[in-house]
Amino acid sequence: MSDNGERFTGHGEEWRDARLSAQDARTATSWVEAKIDKRALLTNKDRVEDVRDAMWQLEKDGEIIVHRVGDQHEPVMAKTLYGWDKKIPTNQLWHHKSCGQCGNIPGYPASLLWLMNQTETRYLDETDQTSCTAWNYHGSGIGNIVSLAAVFLRNFHQAYVSAQAEGLDPGYYYPLVHCGTSFGNYKEVRHFLMHSAELREQVRKILAKLDRLIDGKLLIPEEIVHYSEWLHVMRGRIADKQQIDASNIRVTIHPACHVYKMVPEDVIYDDDVLDGNRVAVSTGIMQEMGTQVIDYSTWYDCCGFGFRHIISEREFTRSFAIDRKIKVAVEEARADVMVGHDTGCITTLDKNQWIGKAVGKDYALPVLADCQVAALLCGAHPYKIVQMHWHASPFEDLLEKLGIDWQRAKAEFEGYLEEVAQGKIETLYEPRRAITSGEGYRP
Amino acid sequence: MTSSPQSGQRAVGKLADPIGADAPLDREALEEIFDDIRTHPRYDSELNGCLNCGICTATCPSAHYYDYSPREIVQLLWTENVEGIYDAMQEKIWACAQCYTCAARCPFGNSPGGLVMVMREVAIKHGMESAKEVLRPFSRVMLKVMTTGNQLAPNMITPEHFPDWGPNISKVEAPLNILRKAIPMPTLHTQETAWAVNLKTSIELYTIWEESGVLDQLETMDENLFDVIVDIMDEKREDYADWLEEQDDDDDDD
Amino acid sequence: MTDPILIVGGGPAGLGAAQALSAIGRKSILVEKEAELGGAPIISGYAKLVPSGEWAKDAIGGMVQRVAGSDLVDVRLGARVTEFAGTPGSFNATLSSGEQCQVSSAILATGFTHFDSINKPEWGFGTHPDVVTTVQVEQMMSSGKGVYCPSDGRVPDRVAILLCVGSRDRQIGREWCSKICCTVSANIAMEIRELLPDCSVYIYYMDIRTYGQYETEYYWRSQEEFRVKYIKSRVAEVTSDGNRLLIKGEDTLVKRPIAIPFDLVVHAIGMDPNLENATIAETFGVDLQKEGNIAQQFSYGGIGLTSRAGVYVAGAAVGPETIDDSIAQGQAAAMAALGMDGGMVAPSAAAE
Repeated sequence: MSDNGERFTGHGEEWRDARLSAQDARTATSWVEAKIDKRALLTNKDRVEDVRDAMWQLEKDGEIIVHRVGDQHEPVMAKTLYGWDKKIPTNQLWHHKSCGQCGNIPGYPASLLWLMNQTETRYLDETDQTSCTAWNYHGSGIGNIVSLAAVFLRNFHQAYVSAQAEGLDPGYYYPLVHCGTSFGNYKEVRHFLMHSAELREQVRKILAKLDRLIDGKLLIPEEIVHYSEWLHVMRGRIADKQQIDASNIRVTIHPACHVYKMVPEDVIYDDDVLDGNRVAVSTGIMQEMGTQVIDYSTWYDCCGFGFRHIISEREFTRSFAIDRKIKVAVEEARADVMVGHDTGCITTLDKNQWIGKAVGKDYALPVLADCQVAALLCGAHPYKIVQMHWHASPFEDLLEKLGIDWQRAKAEFEGYLEEVAQGKIETLYEPRRAITSGEGYRP
Repeated sequence: MTSSPQSGQRAVGKLADPIGADAPLDREALEEIFDDIRTHPRYDSELNGCLNCGICTATCPSAHYYDYSPREIVQLLWTENVEGIYDAMQEKIWACAQCYTCAARCPFGNSPGGLVMVMREVAIKHGMESAKEVLRPFSRVMLKVMTTGNQLAPNMITPEHFPDWGPNISKVEAPLNILRKAIPMPTLHTQETAWAVNLKTSIELYTIWEESGVLDQLETMDENLFDVIVDIMDEKREDYADWLEEQDDDDDDD
Repeated sequence: MTDPILIVGGGPAGLGAAQALSAIGRKSILVEKEAELGGAPIISGYAKLVPSGEWAKDAIGGMVQRVAGSDLVDVRLGARVTEFAGTPGSFNATLSSGEQCQVSSAILATGFTHFDSINKPEWGFGTHPDVVTTVQVEQMMSSGKGVYCPSDGRVPDRVAILLCVGSRDRQIGREWCSKICCTVSANIAMEIRELLPDCSVYIYYMDIRTYGQYETEYYWRSQEEFRVKYIKSRVAEVTSDGNRLLIKGEDTLVKRPIAIPFDLVVHAIGMDPNLENATIAETFGVDLQKEGNIAQQFSYGGIGLTSRAGVYVAGAAVGPETIDDSIAQGQAAAMAALGMDGGMVAPSAAAE
């Protein structure tokens, strides 16, 4: 509890130290004085397997080829849960889009691409890619490990060869996964692939039919990288572009289950972000950009998306979203915005607030992806780029608090829509690059 | 792992007492279902034993709202309680929200969420009524993903389908096609799919559905939907073949 | 064969060895890396010990006094062994001070490292000031300050003790049971209830392992006399609503997930292998077992034998151990070292 009697915890302006006396603090932590590295006993990998080791072995055995994060991808090393290294590519990225983002919160990927333009990051956004199909699998049970693995490797193979359409070498682009569920699912599937020769053989046969093998071998990515990880390692460079002060903004983070609970050993924990006690992505960039990140008691809870629940058990989804997340963020943390890093969570937390009014739960908490907030703070247009009009919960107060004239921006956007109707469309990159083969492709 | 359509007829699951006199299935059939679970390639890596410490249920979102407990699922499987397993497959396994918090917490490295997925796959393989019921509201999504490669399309999200999301899908009023074209990513100027998907890509994905047994799964579950999908994809394959032919002709002209 | 016996580590096991050797008139050199003797019970400030109920500073402090006062024990504080060469009966140990010691054998009583709760972040240590460890509570009590919430110094109304923190947990690579925490936690719970009769104390457990005679004196007595409540549940997360800590758990016997508020949450931290074991193993040329403790050659028969002849091991250096058993093992290792001197050739030495 803070000095002024307000009931917040966490890391906002009210954050207070434990107030142990120097002596108490010293004795209480005397055994840590040697500075025990996070999960020190695990770093020798004797106890928890690093699937990448199995991968290198299979490559040595001539069974697979590893798509490497090379120097041309300008990788930045990040530390994962057990202190292992993860190579995050920062340039020449292939956007593996998210169906939910593109379908109903398009400002999410648009903000990311816009940030990449600001940071002069080369990328490819193309049409030869499918959903990971894991939403469907988790929701309905239709699908299986073979189909999931084949979809994964088909998409990643395309990422590998895509640059050929631009006359560049294969491997030029490295895949960057937008969706948290795709990210978790692909990592899970990679684990199964590395451990089952039978599965590899089944998938190899399918990919051979699709002509998606390299020298007759499966192509496996060295790292499976989520966009939030790119954003995290780029946070300093992005903050350098910041135009709008956000120090008065109280942010609550909703970490995505499929990002940090699935295959947890592959997730970034940064000593500089909440002392490495919580997953670093999103929190890291929000702190870097000067917002106040406020902790709340249901931080660990999921959003209620549920995969099938969002479609057919909506009572559960909205009850969970409102009662266990939104309400707590508003009443306990007095948040101005809920910031997340995954498709399903943002959708669930955002869209389900409206119905709350019917039962007197009118919280009106804006819900945005981390890259949307980052883009806003770097001066992106709230409608043209951040596409905030697709968000259901009211965001106007947040924009006002940031000093953004949303009425003017909205009017500008409405004017722009008239130009769009006349075919005058502005895009973030040259549209012909989006097509890398088949109909409409121009070399 | 892949489904066999023949097995679908046997287990006409009714919500009945699975151990009572009027049990819908005999012991042998129950054991067959359990065998399919036990021999699933994921099974052994998801279940290592259980102390019933309850950390999974403690952190389970669904346990707060349903008569569902991941601990109970694990206990049923670990003790090979085939009646209880069958019973859980009628309703309980569909309560799981697939967040995998249970797996992230379990001190013994079990994945109750992963086990639920195995049970869901087996419920589908056996054509259980519970699975069919679950699938029904999913048919729109299924059709979309099977035929295009995208799970979700902008024109699927309408106040009609999501009345509880409020009256306005966009806070700026304009026709959907204009709003979509005002997204600064050329790949998103679509309404029928979340992004423009290459024809060849959709067909490649369809080949994956065929080859991995997923189409068979679907045929067991929903024959009508299966027929529709096959028709659409046959047509798309023809379109693609035609296009390829045209290209060859063009090449010949060169 | 009158070179002294080297004892590495001045905790219960090392003190036990030194005391035994000096009792039969044999010289020893006791090397301790800290500035004082006593090991974890003294240096980490334990309160009342299991099973006697004596204060650590009296019980272990008494041993320290006897050992330090013995002419036969040569104590080197703030020192480490940096090199160890030679053969059984004639080893040369180099200390960090540069001093060379001729010794006939060595007993490794190098102990353990308390589990660092930082490694289990979802249980709130390091994030919420009122999440503490059993060691901190021991310190609160042994320092005479009593039990309080570090955030604001208030006396807690409700305390939860979480068992198996850093034990029996594959998520963090600690698969072993730390053996002592159930009994220690029951002991602490009773002490809290004694100090703060209005405070409710809950213990969250997977199993209760107050083995042997501790059943009656700790598990049962803590309930019957001290009204400590036991909940069979491993908690998922510890968070805070700004006023109180919230524990998310399922009472597995009543079968519902529930979040319960507490003022103070205590992690019953387990025993990790000594962080320096890799260095110790290298220096003394002994093997570690897979979890990183010093490996013992035999379960039965040869006592305290490591993989190197003439080097013995005792106490928590081999894995989680109680204080009284550590002392007994120190004495047994002393016996084994003497046996080697006397010509009773140990099995591993015979093999060479």
